[in-house]
Amino acid sequence: MLELRRVSRHFSGIPAVDDVSFCARPGQVTGYLGPNGSGKSTTIKMITGLIEMTAGQILFNGNLIDDDIVSYKRRMGYVPEEPHLYNHLSGAEYLTMVADLRGLPARPASERIDGMLRLLSLYDDRHAGIAGYSKGMRQKILIAAALMHNPDLVLLDEPFSGLDVGSALVLRSLISELAARGKVVLFSSHELDTVERISDRVVILHRGKVVADDSIERLRSLMELPTLEAIFSQLAVEHDTDSMARQLADLIRA
Amino acid sequence: MRELIGRWLHTRAQRLPLDFRVLHRQFLLRVVDLEALSIEADIPSYLGQFAGVLIMISLMHGFGLMVFPPPPGPETWVYEQARIADIQLVIGLCAVLMWDSTFPDKRDAMVLGPLPVLPRTILLAKLAASSSVLGIALIALNFASGAAMSIVFGGGSNGMIRFFLGWSFTLLAASAFLYGAVLAIQGLGALLLPRKLFLRASAILQLAAFGGVLAGRFLHPWLATFSELTNPAHRTLLAWSPTFWFFALFNHINGTLPRELQWIANRAWIALAIVLTASLSSLALCYLRTMKNTVEQPDLEPGASSLAWLPRLGSSLQSAITLFCFRSIMRSRQHRVALAFYWSIVFAIALSMARKMITEPPHRVSNGLIMPTILMMGFAVVGLRGVFSLPISLKANWMLRITQLRPTSDYTAATRRSLQLFGVLPILIVAAVLAYHFRPLSHAYQHVAFLAVFGCILVELSLIHFDKVPFTCSFMPGKTNIQVIFWGAAFVCIILALLFGAYESQALAQPRQYAILLAWSLAAAVGLWIFNRIHARTAVLYYEEVLPEIIIKLGLTILPPAQAQPKP
Repeated sequence: MLELRRVSRHFSGIPAVDDVSFCARPGQVTGYLGPNGSGKSTTIKMITGLIEMTAGQILFNGNLIDDDIVSYKRRMGYVPEEPHLYNHLSGAEYLTMVADLRGLPARPASERIDGMLRLLSLYDDRHAGIAGYSKGMRQKILIAAALMHNPDLVLLDEPFSGLDVGSALVLRSLISELAARGKVVLFSSHELDTVERISDRVVILHRGKVVADDSIERLRSLMELPTLEAIFSQLAVEHDTDSMARQLADLIRA
Repeated sequence: MRELIGRWLHTRAQRLPLDFRVLHRQFLLRVVDLEALSIEADIPSYLGQFAGVLIMISLMHGFGLMVFPPPPGPETWVYEQARIADIQLVIGLCAVLMWDSTFPDKRDAMVLGPLPVLPRTILLAKLAASSSVLGIALIALNFASGAAMSIVFGGGSNGMIRFFLGWSFTLLAASAFLYGAVLAIQGLGALLLPRKLFLRASAILQLAAFGGVLAGRFLHPWLATFSELTNPAHRTLLAWSPTFWFFALFNHINGTLPRELQWIANRAWIALAIVLTASLSSLALCYLRTMKNTVEQPDLEPGASSLAWLPRLGSSLQSAITLFCFRSIMRSRQHRVALAFYWSIVFAIALSMARKMITEPPHRVSNGLIMPTILMMGFAVVGLRGVFSLPISLKANWMLRITQLRPTSDYTAATRRSLQLFGVLPILIVAAVLAYHFRPLSHAYQHVAFLAVFGCILVELSLIHFDKVPFTCSFMPGKTNIQVIFWGAAFVCIILALLFGAYESQALAQPRQYAILLAWSLAAAVGLWIFNRIHARTAVLYYEEVLPEIIIKLGLTILPPAQAQPKP
């Protein structure tokens, strides 16, 4: 189980994540939602160990992640928000490098990479430079790199970004399948419809603070709202969206 | 004065169209690749440092000439030839460093294409940006030495002015010729070859140009006297050497060229006309034709398979890091160019030794073998270590950070492997080939054995406090003062190599002394290896250079009210 206890992160004294606590359980998909700048990616980066917390604790299976960060990293897979990759490598070279860095045995790793590239429809372009890959192809490389070592904890930050409809459907099923196999899955997305379909519970973040943490069913009944979108709008959207759209149209006309 | 010049330049600049000014500023900043620098990059300071190095050289030349003027006669001509070759070297290096910057790339096409900017404005802004850098180089390198030459060689006030104007024009023409030649080759290549093939050929041409520019300077013979210049044996050299063309052009303008050498000066004019026409027309055609083609090119180019033959270079981590280094050097233009700077010095030394090998009978093992190979090893390892510090993609480093599953010492070992493979090994192979020209052979190969240990020492020295993965740490601009460090290190290295070469020559003749030398060197290499290993046990890998924290004391003292206002 992944557990965050009163986690905060301040940038130059300004809180990006403020006193956040929640749990993500094995066998469940936990959706992590919030508007732009609410602190979702910062939280996920703290969970990966890429940035340090200002305060709080992160535990995985009851152990503080900092106590044995190496074994924790071995069990974690991460798809970042932006598809930053080494552009001078080809897709196959990149994945082989990641497998080597993770210390996976060469032959099984190579077979696994080939298999993933085939399933993700990247096999024919595996020797082409990543610089030429589309956003969706880069996203697939990130997904392959995050899952190739069969992690127990899967962190997905906007994993559907750039994927075509078919690939997005595959990924959606994959996320559910990973959870069904007992993995802890935490994923952040702006696609509320997808989150609603596959998440067992959601954590909604607003201005760095958790404003909701429960199963979608319970949130619906508590707030008496029909959809996750309506719940999200009530909890995390401050502006009247129609009025804002009108103002923008007026501004460019002027 | 500075304010006046600034105001004058500003007034002139305001007359240019706004889109041209904006683009010129952007392209000028892109002469140095922004990706190589961290967020706090300061490109004007880089250009300032570059100009500083050249000004220092110019001042040294000018001062030397004023204090120790060469005697009238052949020395004057050799001095002029050498100075023209120097300026060609500097302009040639600049042209290679700015290799693709004048041509439209995909980024220009995608960003500027949708905007209402004419291709000719982009072309002119790029040309102006490149010319600004070359102009800075030309003025910085020539202002003191050119003035000193005019005073020493001019002879009288009229002669001085004519000399200075003629000299300045010649250097300008030589620079325009060299840069124009580079542009013409690239432009014609871009027009004639399919884009994919052109991009591959361009990378090879860039390296060839680098080697050619350096070889052209360091292997160029000087012809000092009239009889040498008119000797039929040298006619081919004179006919094909741009240095001699512009040397003759200068003397033609200065009125000091013998009639028999007029044909060489004519070659300069013809070459200049051909190169300028070819470069400008190919550039214009490139902007009209290839900008659209660039956008239409498919993003995805199928690559050749590389997985089947990949060697395993130690542990999986060592393999990953070593291959990452190899691919970064081979595929990143800016890293290749940075490394080529050091390797071309190695190349120039090796080439001059190879020339002796071909033309002269075998030599005895002496400083003639020892010093150059030690210098080659030094430049190769230090250059590689320097290039390792330039990042390739800072934003992609997250992967290395989340897959850091092994201790820092394993990463240090992987970096060591890369330095040994790509720095030490090639030099050992070259040195082993060159050593074949020296006698006795046993002494020559004893030196190669020592060179291997020396290479290992340099590798260990390079790894001291290098707690990072090659190509992944941001580079702190301004931290490295290149004038002082590079020239200081080069000077010290040459002196040390000379002294050490003399010592090793003696040691090779006495087996006991050689054994002691080798034993001490091995001990030093092992000692450094142990030091690095112990350090790496507690070190933490870092990916960002951090500025040292500076605490500024304001000197303010807050006194309690009772003390601040003492009672009368």
